[in-house]
Amino acid sequence: MKIKDAKDFWSGVMFSAFGLSFVVFAQQYDMGTAARMGPAFFPTMLGGLMLALGILIMFKGLKTDGGADSKVDAFHFKPLLLVLGAVVAFGLLLRPLGLLVSLTVLVVVSSLGSPEFRLRDALLLTVGLAILCVVVFVNALGMTIPVLPAFMRD
Amino acid sequence: MDLIDNLTLGFTTALSLANLAYCFVGVLIGTLIGVLPGIGPVATLAMLLPATYALEPTSALIMLAGIYYGAQYGGSTTAILVNLPGESSSVVTVIDGYQMARRGRAGAALAIAALGSFFAGTVGTLILASLAAPMVQLAFKFGPAEYFSLMVLGLIGAVVLASGSLLKAIAMIILGLLLGLVGTDVNSGVARYSFDIPELADGIGFVSVAMGVFGFAEIIANLEHKAGQRVVFTDKVGRLLPSKQEFLYAIPAILRGTGLGSVLGVLPGGGALLAAFAAYTVEKKVTRNPDPPFGKGNIRGVAAPESANNAGAQTSFIPMLTLGIPPNAVMALMVGAMTIHNIQPGPQVMTSNPSLFWGLIASMWIGNLMLVILNLPLIGIWVQLLKVPYRLLYPAILVFCCIGVYSVNNNSFDVTMTAIFGLVGYLFYKLRCEPAPLILGFILGPMMEENLRRAMLLSRGDPTVFFTRPLSLGLLLMAIALVVIVALPQISRKREEAFHDVD
Repeated sequence: MKIKDAKDFWSGVMFSAFGLSFVVFAQQYDMGTAARMGPAFFPTMLGGLMLALGILIMFKGLKTDGGADSKVDAFHFKPLLLVLGAVVAFGLLLRPLGLLVSLTVLVVVSSLGSPEFRLRDALLLTVGLAILCVVVFVNALGMTIPVLPAFMRD
Repeated sequence: MDLIDNLTLGFTTALSLANLAYCFVGVLIGTLIGVLPGIGPVATLAMLLPATYALEPTSALIMLAGIYYGAQYGGSTTAILVNLPGESSSVVTVIDGYQMARRGRAGAALAIAALGSFFAGTVGTLILASLAAPMVQLAFKFGPAEYFSLMVLGLIGAVVLASGSLLKAIAMIILGLLLGLVGTDVNSGVARYSFDIPELADGIGFVSVAMGVFGFAEIIANLEHKAGQRVVFTDKVGRLLPSKQEFLYAIPAILRGTGLGSVLGVLPGGGALLAAFAAYTVEKKVTRNPDPPFGKGNIRGVAAPESANNAGAQTSFIPMLTLGIPPNAVMALMVGAMTIHNIQPGPQVMTSNPSLFWGLIASMWIGNLMLVILNLPLIGIWVQLLKVPYRLLYPAILVFCCIGVYSVNNNSFDVTMTAIFGLVGYLFYKLRCEPAPLILGFILGPMMEENLRRAMLLSRGDPTVFFTRPLSLGLLLMAIALVVIVALPQISRKREEAFHDVD
């Protein structure tokens, strides 16, 4: 068996996997009856439908040639991990260390994801954004965002 | 006349100093961000949504609507000046707009785009105002069975009119519906798919989904491509006033574009994008001996799609405001915004909250007027923005997104959740699965389940209820007809051609 359209085939795999897990996890909830649907009813229906569609898409990927565009392009893990990692770090650091520290981490780490990274520019950008965010979000809009690290707050 | 009374109420609301200011800020920020290539209206709205939480609902919605058409217009500016569509609905504007810019007529193209958009926006707003009341009357005849069938029709329509694979789009909708069900079930109190994480018991925040799938995934995808050689026509925007000949060509194109856009905007899955595509195709068909030819800088190729996408943007508010059913991803975000402000979208909004309803409609016209006044003199500034390199732009966008997501619930969990959806969105991008249907499904999931349950309860578990009630049957037949038509081999080939035409 050769895969003729990799994009379709792997999409099918993804949808089948999602569908199957939604169905499986729904089974711990009450199914109810058609007249009084329990919490498991609608998700089981939809999950089953998605599983079926996923399998259909998988077969389509095996049978129909999608041409030159059908290959799945390589994943670029560097920007992916740096950008998303920086975001997660921002979320985790915001409460304990405050906006100034977490913003610096977010800007510098995510900037590393660009092929044209320059440290000086990233640091200048950090300073500019930090000032802007404190003025706009904290002072003007009055959002409750901690600015300083927890140990420096009173 | 009721219409006059209603519009008067609307204008008194919209013309209050505060609301005028929010409308202005919305249009300004919307244009500012819409000008940046690669950030469409959906991502812009998702990003700025949290900034409107603190406002009262009417002002918040007015500002969001302003952001929407600001982003829309900003996209056209980028299209004309940099040969890069700022968002998908200006993909067609790129073709002739950029060619005009190369011939030193960027000013005229920008002016026609602005004037055409304003005219189309005015017509669209009038249509919205006059159709709202009868639509609401119709909506009150709807029971749960009809609502369920209407949502099926809406979702199917969204798939049919979108580009790309039909099967994948349907699967994306279902995935969206399922993700929308995560969290506490209102009927039984069971926390579904929460895996004992307390934050998940409240459901997945739709800001996280929209921002992750549209915003973050787009940024990562952009970082893969080496910044190409962009030629920005910054210094030779040229005279703003179009020549007499250009006006003569543009006016009929604007009229046709407006008409087409208004109709297509109401359709499920329609809105700005489809309207622009269709208008361009129609112009190519009706114009005999175009001089210069289309694709070489014909002003009709700017006037028609720009008017059409703005008209479509206005009229796509009709199903959202009157039925509470969003026809496209942007409106899905608006529904989300209303829900956050504790307004249940649907026919009752017009009666229970008339000043919000009519104020929003009136503000749309004011917003369109502001766009013209604002954009023509400010074009120089927008052009400067285009020179900001992407390596400085995207960390700034990330910062605003992160602060925005965090401030929804003052919760770090939401930030992590957004990153997860960024990963999922990147996977969608790699597998070429259009994310727009997912957002639509995500918003409609809980509504659909609720109406299905109610309909089945009323019919005592008899599923034929959807086929025996005439209105519901009609809606389902329309949905089936849509699928059949699109699945026909001749049509599906045409459909692919139509979407490939402009790629």
